Amino acid sequence: MINATKIDERDLVFHGVAIKRHAGAAAIAALVGLPEPRVSTLLADAVATGRVVDTGDAFILAPLTRVALEARYGLHFAPLRQDKAFENAYLAFERVNKTLKQVITDWQTISIGGNKVANDHSDRAHDEAVIDRLGEVQEQVEPILAALSKGWPRMNFYAQKLLAALEAAEDGEHEWVSDIRRDSYHTIWFELHEDLLRIMGRVREE
Amino acid sequence: MGLPIDSARKGRPPASPLVEATLSLVQERLRDRFAQSGQDWDGFRVSGAALTKADLADVERRLLATGHRFDWSAGISVAERPDIYKSRGDGDQVDESFSHPDAPQGEPDETGRALAGVGDNVVRHDADITGIARFIRTNERVLDYLTNGVPPGIIAVIDDSGGTLTAPIIEQFTGVICAGGTVRSHLGILTREYNIPCLMNAKIAGIADGDTVTIEATAAAKTTEDYQQGVDRVGRVWRLVQEEATA
Repeated sequence: MINATKIDERDLVFHGVAIKRHAGAAAIAALVGLPEPRVSTLLADAVATGRVVDTGDAFILAPLTRVALEARYGLHFAPLRQDKAFENAYLAFERVNKTLKQVITDWQTISIGGNKVANDHSDRAHDEAVIDRLGEVQEQVEPILAALSKGWPRMNFYAQKLLAALEAAEDGEHEWVSDIRRDSYHTIWFELHEDLLRIMGRVREE
Repeated sequence: MGLPIDSARKGRPPASPLVEATLSLVQERLRDRFAQSGQDWDGFRVSGAALTKADLADVERRLLATGHRFDWSAGISVAERPDIYKSRGDGDQVDESFSHPDAPQGEPDETGRALAGVGDNVVRHDADITGIARFIRTNERVLDYLTNGVPPGIIAVIDDSGGTLTAPIIEQFTGVICAGGTVRSHLGILTREYNIPCLMNAKIAGIADGDTVTIEATAAAKTTEDYQQGVDRVGRVWRLVQEEATA
C-alpha cells in the first residue's frame, strides 16, 4: 500500500484505538488496514507496558498514550497536512458534515405540534425523505473520499463502509442509519470525522 | 521539517508511558520551533530559542489535562501543589470546574428542589428524570465504569461534547448533562439514539458529585432554528436540597 504518511505500525494501531475508542482487535485492524495478528501482537505489548487498557472485550488508549500520540501526529501527518488537495478535500468534508448532522438529527426527531420529539418511525414518508437526503450526502462525500484516498489510500475503507450502510438503510433496515452498536452510517461517519480531525490536527467544532 | 532525532528512535519505546508522553510533547514543541526558526539545526540548537520555561510548563499542563497525576515521594510536594499530584487520601477537593458563572440559581421550593442550572434539551421526553450526579472526568472513574458497569440511576456530568471518554458507557447512564456542544453534537446524537435524557451546552453551578438532581427532560427541545435565531430555549436542572440543610 502506498503510504503518504510516515506513521509507524505501533502509532497506526494507537490511531485506530483512538478512533474506535472501545473496540476489539479485528475492528481496529480493519480500520487501519493491518493484519489482525500483527495488531493483536502490538496491542498485547501496549497493554503489558501500560499504553493501552484491555477492558475485557475491547481496548482503550491509556490517557498518557492519547496525548503522546497526538504529540506525534505533526510528525506523521506533515505530508498530508501540506498536501493542498488533501486539505481541500478535508475542508469539503467539514461542509458536508454539517448537512449530515442535520440529517441524522432529523432522522432521530420528528415535529409534533411544533415540538421536537423522538421519532418512533411510524411516519414512513418522513423516514424515506430523510434516507433520500442521506443518499444525497453520500453523493457529495464520495468524490471527497476519492480525493482523500489519493493522499492516503486507507481512506477508501470509509467509502465502502458508508455505501454498505446506506444500501442497507435503503433496503429498509433502518438500524443502519444511526444505530450505535453497529457500523451504521453515523457510526462510520463519526469515525471518519475523528480520523480526519486527528490527521489535520484540528478539534471538533460542536 | 523534522528533527535529527525523529529517525533515531528505532529501538523500543521508553519504558514508562509518562516518559514517552513527555518526550513526545517536548519533541513536538521543538519541531515546531525549529520549523519556525528558519535556521539550520546547528544554528538552532545553540540559539537558546529552542525551549523555554513556558514551553515546559505547557508540557506539564497537557500531561495533567489527560487526568494524569504525578506520583510523589515527599508529602511536602503534594501539600504545595495538590493539583498535580496523586491525592494523599485525606479528602478530595471539590471540583469547581463545572460552576458556570451564568448558571441560574434558585432557592429550594416546598419540595426541596433548588434551581441549579439550565441546558439545551436534545429531545423532548414524557417525564423529567431524577438521579445521582456523577462528574465523569477522571480516567479512574471511566475505567471503573467500563470494568464494573455504571450503577443504576447515575446522571453523568460531562464537559466533552464529543463524548471521547464516555462513549462506551453512555447507554448505561440515566441522564446526561454536558457543559459543551449543541443538540446536534455527537453526544446529543448518541443520547437520542439511546433514548437517554440529555442537556447540552449546560450552565450549571452548585452541584456536587453525589447530589440528587432532576433534569427537565419534558422541556421543549432546542432546534436548529433556535440556534440560528438566538432563541433561548432551555431545560432546567434542579438539585435536591437535603432537609437538614434547609431546616
